[in-house]
Amino acid sequence: MTRWGMVINLNKCIGCYACMLACKQEHFLPPGIFWGRVVVGEQGKFPAVRKLTYPVLCNHCEEAPCVDVCPTGASTKRADGVVVIDYDKCVGCRYCVMACPYQQRTFYSNEKREYFPGQGFTELEIIGKELYPLQRGTVVKCNFCKERLDSGQRRKLEPGKDREATPACVNACPAKARFFGDINDPTSEVSKLIAEKKATPLGPEFGTSPSVFYVMR
Amino acid sequence: MKAYEWMVKCTPQTEWIEKKGILLWLAFFFIELGAGAYLVGALFKSTAAMMAGWLFCGVLGGGLHLLYLGRPSRFYRMFARPQTSWISRGMTFVTLFLLLGFLDIILRWTSYETVILSLATMFLAFLVVIYGGFAMCCITGIPLWNTALIPILYVVSGLWGGVGVTLAFAIAQGDEQIMSGAERWTDLFLIGFVLLLITYLISLRYGSRAAKMSVQEIIRGSGKRVFWILIVLIGLGVPIVMASFHTASIPATLLYFTIACELAGDLGMRYVILKYGFYNPLIPSSI
Repeated sequence: MTRWGMVINLNKCIGCYACMLACKQEHFLPPGIFWGRVVVGEQGKFPAVRKLTYPVLCNHCEEAPCVDVCPTGASTKRADGVVVIDYDKCVGCRYCVMACPYQQRTFYSNEKREYFPGQGFTELEIIGKELYPLQRGTVVKCNFCKERLDSGQRRKLEPGKDREATPACVNACPAKARFFGDINDPTSEVSKLIAEKKATPLGPEFGTSPSVFYVMR
Repeated sequence: MKAYEWMVKCTPQTEWIEKKGILLWLAFFFIELGAGAYLVGALFKSTAAMMAGWLFCGVLGGGLHLLYLGRPSRFYRMFARPQTSWISRGMTFVTLFLLLGFLDIILRWTSYETVILSLATMFLAFLVVIYGGFAMCCITGIPLWNTALIPILYVVSGLWGGVGVTLAFAIAQGDEQIMSGAERWTDLFLIGFVLLLITYLISLRYGSRAAKMSVQEIIRGSGKRVFWILIVLIGLGVPIVMASFHTASIPATLLYFTIACELAGDLGMRYVILKYGFYNPLIPSSI
């Protein structure tokens, strides 16, 4: 059974935020909503300081706590491993936001905000409300660009190889630090990377079995 | 918290305490206080306390919870997943409790009470008192909540508040039998609550980075005023001093004041637990 996953090579990541912006653009995300982020930390003391950049997103966990705690069944895990939210069922209790140890879910509040306050909505925001409407008062998160995955597979394209079937953040990375594929297929590029580079997920102690792996420095 | 500190340092939860989250804090308080008052009122055969408990739970607690939701008109969907979701279970417990509790109160009022209905409603009331604690303790990302002591702490505080409400009605009605019984229960719950709170805070100091930060913020950081003044001094100090006197010798006004102090302390405790629930950082860092 297919299990979509991602590998992020931290040795190649340059912290350019292209993935974050590509995701914003792909899903027409409103101000304050991020489905992918780049977390920047430091390690060591001056003068021996190292900068750490970690692109983070929903880990689409095998044992997703957000799916378990959802009282309405809005959060579900697809057969291919992608954790999705049915916005028509979400009641906005935010229990899933609390339950996620990675804090990768966001509540889309009822505040009406535009990117340029006082200047109205941009064309992108106007188009976004038609093409990719999010429901206020519900919880939103990364869905591994399921629309691209699904439409690409219908056209017999291969996610992770064919750009039209691959998540936007993977396509946008200029350093080719991100890889996408079936982690249940031992011959896939992601599976080989996980095995050869000993890639590990973030926060293994949470016991959620994430589908996003990192090749550590 | 600055944007570049998010999940690099220990990050506090905000959805269940900031902005509209205040409603959820109050909702949990009223739901558990109400169910506790109903349960204790039923044991002491105080219909007034039972009615007050029902109203606290259903009207105040339930109403505030619905107001908190992003899409309150879809609340009926929250019954869908009792097999895995504590919020779903809680909705079921609260709804059944309100329905059967209403019936039980009517039957008691008209002297047609049945033992089975009373027992069932009291059991449901207990489930309502405890479900909030379980809803929080299953959140592994927040070490302050992810402990078996949270449900016990919430049950004790919910029942202690319930005893307070029952005592308040007993004073108003001049029922000395209930006053005498409730006084003993109050003392027991006071001791239990103090011991639990101390054990809870001490045990967290041996936990993860986020757990230690939570305790530090509560006791010495930005939560210290709420902790030391509202919880310790007012919520525990006043009842401890009053416990050394017999209820019958204390003026009614002072008794009401003591009960109000207990409830304020309970509210403060729930506030600091929600406010200072920190997530561990996502990345290894020396910050």
